[in-house]
Amino acid sequence: MKIEAKEIVKTYQDKSVLTLKGTHHHLVFEPGKIYGIIGPNGSGKTTLLKIMAGLIPMSSGNMLYNNQSLTHQTMTEMTYSSHSPTLFSRSIYENIAYPLRIRKVDKQMIDDTVNGLLAEFELNKIQTQNAKHLSGGESQKTALARALSFSPKVLFLDEPTANIDPKSIRIIESALKKRNHHDNLTVIIITHNLSQAFRLCSHLIFMDQGQCLFSGTPEEIMATSDPIINDFISYNRF
Amino acid sequence: MDYILNGFVEAFRLIFSFDPEIIQIVLLSLYVSFSSTLYATLIGVPVGILLGINTFKGKRIVSRLLYTFMSFPPVIIGLFTALFLARSGPFGQFQLMYTPQAMIIAQTILVTPVITGIIFNQAGTSGHEVVQTGKTLGAQKWNILILLILELKSVIMIALVTGFGRAISEVGAVMIVGGNIRGFTRVMTTFIAMNNNMGQYSVSIAMGLILLTISFITNSILYHFVMGDQNENRG
Ligand SMILES: Nc1ncnc2c1ncn2[C@@H]1O[C@H](COP(=O)(O)OP(=O)(O)OP(=O)(O)O)[C@@H](O)[C@H]1O
Ligand SMILES: [Mg+2]
Repeated sequence: MKIEAKEIVKTYQDKSVLTLKGTHHHLVFEPGKIYGIIGPNGSGKTTLLKIMAGLIPMSSGNMLYNNQSLTHQTMTEMTYSSHSPTLFSRSIYENIAYPLRIRKVDKQMIDDTVNGLLAEFELNKIQTQNAKHLSGGESQKTALARALSFSPKVLFLDEPTANIDPKSIRIIESALKKRNHHDNLTVIIITHNLSQAFRLCSHLIFMDQGQCLFSGTPEEIMATSDPIINDFISYNRF
Repeated sequence: MDYILNGFVEAFRLIFSFDPEIIQIVLLSLYVSFSSTLYATLIGVPVGILLGINTFKGKRIVSRLLYTFMSFPPVIIGLFTALFLARSGPFGQFQLMYTPQAMIIAQTILVTPVITGIIFNQAGTSGHEVVQTGKTLGAQKWNILILLILELKSVIMIALVTGFGRAISEVGAVMIVGGNIRGFTRVMTTFIAMNNNMGQYSVSIAMGLILLTISFITNSILYHFVMGDQNENRG
């Protein structure tokens, strides 16, 4: 699915937190690519991602999904997962199965899919545990497995590896790459980990104070002369 | 001070004599309060959820009104209901005044804000997140409602028992619209109030003990559900 964000503005009680205008007023997300959104705290990354995912309304602007505005059907083909996910008060297994159950998928098919994801994310040992009582990393892995269970076309991720140990980070990154490669999954990921952004993304967007200052390849961002971006990158060097 | 002790002795004697009148009073109380809690739940749970998860103009006023109604004195509710049900009132033709139905109506009005308010409060916080998450996973309106009821299960239980507690323990509303008619609208609380007025402390104490036992049982059931839920979460 091709996603376009045109001149999006978001204000909260007269306080403007997102204004896409100027050079990068029109962001285009091509299907089957992995996009990274980076930038300092409070720069509007989460706000932009939630607007694109159809979770919060924009104050003005235009969102297009394959040249159409957001429909219920489109909502069922996209998903969103964050660093502090809301899991349901049921087992890990049932959390991952949920999107399939509401889609009335055949039982055997559900079992196969869920077991595959449990193994992939190394959650099989705790699969019967209630998801309300998990560690930060376990919650995030469960949420990601749940988001992937119904093979969405677009995946929005807000710092999905924020609490995750190095090995699990690799598991998550390869899960994303694999689906991107085989199923043409589009991923739009916010991360504060620049090396992760470089490992995963073919395209980066830099946000600052509600504006998009840069949109281009990782090589291009390294070559930019914008002092704000250079300053931001320099802190991520080590 | 003797009369207190005698009261208790007499109370136990009364309880274990299984007096049919006492049994009838207890059953009527349970019937009236269970019915009103049921109706209040049917109204309060969906309304509380809808008000809680949606953002709309005037939400603050709604919540303030709701919290005010949660602590409204039962007598006022009784009076208000009586005005509508009285023979000359707008619903006078149904001749509901001084019937168990009138008591159920009054208690439903009393309990609905309690249940709505508790659900509203929780739905506004954790309920909103559940809705958002449901949407991201492709849930339709109907799926989301079921999901919300399951996720808010323990709060719904708490709301139910709180509502029932308010209903079974109030005197004002049932006294005004029921009239404490022997064998017809007399319930535990109006029975206690009446006997107390007549200086018959032992029967009052006996009925008081029964009322306490019932509250204890309903609370134990709640505790079982809520704690059972948490044990399950741990295991
Ligand atoms: N519901 C809200 N009401 C008012 N202001 C908000 C609300 N949500 C976000 N903001 C403000 O919008 C701005 C952008 O927030 P956002 O969460 O998009 O930042 P971010 O780039 O994701 O930051 P971080 O890296 O810390 O996650 C912040 O200044 C924040 O205070
Ligand atoms: Mg954020």
